[in-house]
Amino acid sequence: MTEQIEKALQREYEAGFVSDIESDTFEPGLNEDIIRRISAMKEEPEWMLEWRLKAFRYWLDMEEPEWAHVHYPKIDFQSISYYSAPKSMKDKPQSLDEVDPELLKTYEKLGIPLHEQMMLAGVAVDAVFDSVSVVTTFRDKLEEAGVIFCPISEAVHKYPDLVKKYLGSVVPQRDNYYAALNCAVFTDGSFVYIPKGTKCPMELSTYFRINEQNTGQFERTLIIADEGSHVSYLEGCTAPQRDENQLHAAVVELIAMDDAEIKYSTVQNWYPGDEEGRGGIYNFVTKRGICHTSAKISWTQVETGSAVTWKYPSCILKGDNSIGEFYSVALTRGAQQADTGTKMIHLGKNTKSTIISKGISAGRSNNSYRGLVRMNSSAVGARNFTQCDSLLIGDQCGAHTFPYVESRNPTAIVEHEATTSKVSDDQMFLCQQRGLDPEKAVSMIVNGFCKEVFKELPMEFAVEAGKLLEISLEGSVG
Amino acid sequence: MSSWLSSAVTRAEAVSDWLAPQRQASLALLRDAKWPTRKTEAWKYLPINVWDNTELQADAAESTDATSGVIEGLNSLDLVFVNGQLQSVPGDDLPAGLTVVSLADASGDARAWAAETFTAVKPARHLFGLVNDVLATQGVLIDVAAAAVIEQPIRIVNVLTKGYEAHTRVLVRLGEHAKATVIEHYVGDQRSKNTGFAEYKVGDSAYLEHYRFALQSGESLSIGGSHFELSARAELSSHLVGFGSTLQRVDVDVTHAGEHAFAKLNAIYLLDGKELFDLHSTIEHAVPNGTTEENVRGIVADNSRAVFNGRIHIHRGAQKTLAELNNRNLLMSDRAEINTKPELEIYADDVRCAHGATIAEIDKKALYYMQSRGVSRSQAQIMLNFGFINELVDQMPNQVLADWLRPQLRDRFAGMEVK
Repeated sequence: MTEQIEKALQREYEAGFVSDIESDTFEPGLNEDIIRRISAMKEEPEWMLEWRLKAFRYWLDMEEPEWAHVHYPKIDFQSISYYSAPKSMKDKPQSLDEVDPELLKTYEKLGIPLHEQMMLAGVAVDAVFDSVSVVTTFRDKLEEAGVIFCPISEAVHKYPDLVKKYLGSVVPQRDNYYAALNCAVFTDGSFVYIPKGTKCPMELSTYFRINEQNTGQFERTLIIADEGSHVSYLEGCTAPQRDENQLHAAVVELIAMDDAEIKYSTVQNWYPGDEEGRGGIYNFVTKRGICHTSAKISWTQVETGSAVTWKYPSCILKGDNSIGEFYSVALTRGAQQADTGTKMIHLGKNTKSTIISKGISAGRSNNSYRGLVRMNSSAVGARNFTQCDSLLIGDQCGAHTFPYVESRNPTAIVEHEATTSKVSDDQMFLCQQRGLDPEKAVSMIVNGFCKEVFKELPMEFAVEAGKLLEISLEGSVG
Repeated sequence: MSSWLSSAVTRAEAVSDWLAPQRQASLALLRDAKWPTRKTEAWKYLPINVWDNTELQADAAESTDATSGVIEGLNSLDLVFVNGQLQSVPGDDLPAGLTVVSLADASGDARAWAAETFTAVKPARHLFGLVNDVLATQGVLIDVAAAAVIEQPIRIVNVLTKGYEAHTRVLVRLGEHAKATVIEHYVGDQRSKNTGFAEYKVGDSAYLEHYRFALQSGESLSIGGSHFELSARAELSSHLVGFGSTLQRVDVDVTHAGEHAFAKLNAIYLLDGKELFDLHSTIEHAVPNGTTEENVRGIVADNSRAVFNGRIHIHRGAQKTLAELNNRNLLMSDRAEINTKPELEIYADDVRCAHGATIAEIDKKALYYMQSRGVSRSQAQIMLNFGFINELVDQMPNQVLADWLRPQLRDRFAGMEVK
C-alpha cells in the first residue's frame, strides 16, 4: 500500500512542458508607468487607464490578506513581470495557418480541440496564451445569435458602453487585495454578452495557460446574461512545470439579469509544485456573480492543481426568487494547499442557495472549505442548504471546514452539515471481494464521493474531471 | 489601545503575590496585545468597545444581596464571591478528600499544584483571560484527592452589584478516579464588569460534572471561560446555560490530553431585548481515541444577537477520534441576529467528525396545529420553545438543578414573541 501511495505522490505533472516561443515581456516591476505601458500596449482609451490607476492606488493602501489557512513565502510583487505576449502575435494571424506552429503544438498536447474537431465538438475557444488572446473561433456562429464572445481587450474598444457599465460592478476595484491588483494590471480575458431572451447556441470555453517564466497572469472575465438568456461557460487550465512560483490573480464577474441563467464550470489543473511544494501556481482568484429577479447562477468547480488556492466563487442573490448554486470538488496532494469555498449573500425574497463541497486530501496537503451564508433581514423565505464532506487519504494531510452562517431573518432557513471520513476498510473490502483491484476500488469510491458535483458538469468536462481525479489518485490506496 | 486595557495593565503592575511568575508572563503578553476590533476573528461579531466605553459608578445605597443566587433544594457547598471578594472558605467539616482554600491563603502543597495549573489549561490567546491572569487576586483552589467521591455539589457563586468591577479565578484538580460536581454560578443584572475564568485538570479515569450558569443579565458586562484538560479515560459532562446581557461572552475549551477521554458539552442560550451573547468553544483532540459530543441550542428574540463559534481540532496522529458538534438556533424576530461558525480542523485520517448548524424560526405548522387544538398562540409558542431547549435540560445529571432552571426558562420564553 505504502509503495503505491509513494508512487502516486511522485507522479510527474503531465502537462509540465515549456513551449519555446519568443516573447515580448516587460521587465519585472510594478508601478504606475508599467500600468500606463500595459494600457498603451492595448491601445486603451483614457477612461480605462484611469480606472486601472485608481485600482492601483487603492491596492497600494491595502494589506495582503492573511486569514486563509495557507502558508507560503511572501510574494514580491516587484519581481513579477506584468506583461508578456507571444511575439508572433504582433501581426495578428488571420487564420489558423498563420498561427505559430509551436503554439498550436502546445494546445494539441493539452488536448484542446482547436481544429476541425472543434466544430464537431461544438466548442468555441477563446484561447489565452499568456496574456494575449490568440484565436477566437466560432465568432460568426455566435454573432448570428447576437452573442458577443471576445477578448476583453477587444470589448473595451468595440463595446465600451457595456464594459464601462459592468466592469467592476460586481467585484469593485477595492474589493480585496488581489482583485485590486487584477484591476490595475489585467492584460486580457474573456467578455461575453448574451442578448435578451437568447439561449447561447454552444458552450463557451476558454483555456488559460501560463507560459512565460515569472509572468503572473491576470485574467479578467466579464459575462453579462441579459434578461431571459442562458449561457454555459467552461474554464479550464493547465500550466507547464516551473521552479519559481507564479501568481495567478484572476477576477471573474457574472451578471445575470432578470430570469437569466449562467452556468460557470471550471476544471483547474495548474502546476501544483514539486513534492516539497516548490514552484507551482499561486491561484488567488475572485469570482462573483450577481443574480437579479428570478435569475440563476451556478458555479461548478473541479480543483486539482495549484500550489496554493484561494478562491471563493460567490453569488449575490439580489433579486427575489433568484438561485445560487455551488458545486465543488477540491483535491489536494503532495504539499498543495487549498482554501476554497463560496459566499451566498441572500438579499431578495425567496432566494435559494445550495452548496455541495467535496474535499479530498492526500499526501501532506491541506484542504479547507471556507464559506459564508448570509441571510439579510430582507431575505424573507430564503433557503440555504450546505453540505461539506471531506475525505482524507493518509495520515499526514489535513481537512478543514470554516463555515460562517449569519442570519437576520426568522423566516429564512439555513442548514449546514459537514462530515469527515476516510476510504473505509469495509468499502475497500467489499469492492475487492467483488473482484476490483485496490486502485480501481479507491477510484470508484472517490468517484462516488464526488458524483453529486460531477453530474453538474457539462459532459465533456465531466469526462475530463473524472480522468483528472483518477490520475491524481493513482495508487493512493488508504 | 483601549483606555480600559491600559488602566488594567497599570493596575496589574501593582499586583504581587506568590503567582508572580505566571502573572508576569501574562502581563508581558497583555502589553503586546491588540484591543480587538471587528476585524479580529475571535471578536468579529461582538462589539467589544461597549466594554471600553461603559463607565462604572458604584451606588453606595445598593445593598449587596448575597442570597440572590440561592438554588432551592440544592444542598451544595457554596463559595460566594460578592463583587469579586471571597466571603468565606468552609472550615474543616469538608467531605473527606476535598480541600478548598482561597487563592490568597494558599500555602504549601496547594500553592505547588495551583502554580502548575494556573494558566496551564486556559489558552493564552484569550485577551480577557490574560486580564484575569494579572488581576484575579481573589479565587479558590479546589482539590479532590485521588479516588475521592464528593457527592455534595461544589458551587462557586459570583454576585455582581452596581458599579463594581471584579476578576475571579477558580482552579480545580481532580485526582485519579475522583468524582465531583462543580457549579459556576454568575448572578447580577446591574451595570458591572467581571471576568471569571476557571481551569480544571481532570485526572485519569476521573469524572467531572460541570455546570456554568452564565445568568448575569440586564446591564452587566461579563467575559469568562471554563477550561478543561482531560487525562486518560477521564469523563466530563458539562452544561452551560447563558442569558444575554449588555455584553456577555463565555469560552469553553476542552483538551483531550489523555487517550479514551470522553467529553459531553451541552449549551443553551436564550436572548431577548437588546442582549448579546457570545459562546466560543474549542475542543482539542491532542491524542488518539478521544470522544466529544457537543450540543448547542439557542433561541434569539427581539433585538438580540447571538454568536456561536465551535471549533474542533484533531491534531496529527489523534486517530480514532469521534467528535460531533451540533448547533441549532431559533430566530424569533427580524431584528434579531445569529452568527454561527462550526469549524473543523482535522489532521488525522482515521477519525469520524461531523458538525451541523441550522437556523430557522418556530415551525409555523406546529404552531398552527396547537392553536387548532385550542392552545393560545403565545402558550403554544412557549411550549414549543420550551420543548426545543428542554431536551438539553433533561440531560443534566442533577435533577435539582434542572427543576430549578425550568421555571426560569419558562419565564424567559413568556417574554418572547413570535413575529
